[in-house]
Amino acid sequence: VPSVIVCHACDLAHRSDSLASNARVRCVRCRAELYRTNDRTPETAIALALTALVLFILANVYPLVAMTVGGTTRMTTLLGAAEAYHDQGYDALAALVACTAIIVPAIQIVTLLYLLIPLQLGRLAPGQNLLFRMLTAVRPWGLTEVFMLGAVVALVKLSAQAEVSPQISLLAYGLLMISIAALTSATPSEQYWSWITAVRKRRP
Amino acid sequence: MTTLITGRSLGLVVCLRCRATVRANGAEQSLCPRCEAQLAVRRPHSLSTTGALVLTAAVLYIPANLLPVMRTHEILSDEDDTIMSGVISLAHQGSWPIALLVFFASIVVPLLKLVALGDILLAIWRGGVRNPRQRSRMFRIVEFVGRWSMLDVFALSLLASLVQMQSLAIVQVRPAAFAFAAVVVLTMLAAQSFDERLLWDAQKHD
Repeated sequence: VPSVIVCHACDLAHRSDSLASNARVRCVRCRAELYRTNDRTPETAIALALTALVLFILANVYPLVAMTVGGTTRMTTLLGAAEAYHDQGYDALAALVACTAIIVPAIQIVTLLYLLIPLQLGRLAPGQNLLFRMLTAVRPWGLTEVFMLGAVVALVKLSAQAEVSPQISLLAYGLLMISIAALTSATPSEQYWSWITAVRKRRP
Repeated sequence: MTTLITGRSLGLVVCLRCRATVRANGAEQSLCPRCEAQLAVRRPHSLSTTGALVLTAAVLYIPANLLPVMRTHEILSDEDDTIMSGVISLAHQGSWPIALLVFFASIVVPLLKLVALGDILLAIWRGGVRNPRQRSRMFRIVEFVGRWSMLDVFALSLLASLVQMQSLAIVQVRPAAFAFAAVVVLTMLAAQSFDERLLWDAQKHD
């Protein structure tokens, strides 16, 4: 039924003979976004995902923040933040921090690269349906921007008693947060499926 | 007034994963032809799942806010901090914007979320939603801001990781930190399992 779009949030049916290009279309009743398209090829998204990948690596190998008290300096890394909970016996919290701040962003970047590179070459990646569904399921759990603000809160709290300084990894993480946001907005669902459908039509 | 036509009345279903509009072919367990996700006219057990998650989160909200989430051991004294006392010490320190931010993210947002979801569930259970537009707006705000409550979980992880031994103080995580994180995760799951269409199905015209 290509001529009707049903709103996922209020079930209202909309007549729609073709997808509007480069547009954001909302439901007339509940204002939910029905779809968004951007007229681009997967190229932009691939470039953004590669940028995010480099930033992700930088954010993980360098120290995140340093604290100096009485002449001794202590540094921590991104993984060190999750480890702190593990060291104190709170494994569930360690897993939560690791998943939301590190693993989910990594899954997003790698999965999109795996799906988009073949697409740019006019092919479909094996397992693409399953991976797409997995991606939409994990996306709400990627909390890079919240982690970033959490780091700011921790720095402010510590600055009362010690000398604290943000390190390279925090800068990389801030840029990672921006590139993931850009990557998400460069791959709106309906645009992604129009790339897929185009390839499926060419090679049935 | 124009009559509004729903997908259900046309025998159409939206795939909640890829948002394709698909003809519902009677069979309950059909798959989306585009992305192969399970299709359902309405998300199964949405109300009871959301209700159970909201209730659990509401119970955990109490220890999460009343009990200490961290303890600072110093040479001569130990100090317990709850979420609220953390906010107060940020304010004493003069960091008003950060104190307000943490206050909203950690205390107001989870409470708002519980109240909003509870209100939506009760309205549907009572069998009539008079203003679905307003309630759906409230739901979306709550869904959008909910993730920010994780702020303190991340801040605490960095404090616990940095403040160890040689700095003459140790930050120890207390069990209420777990309760607090559970509230955030459960309310996020509650919002995700709620099927917004139920608000419009229950719309009362008068």
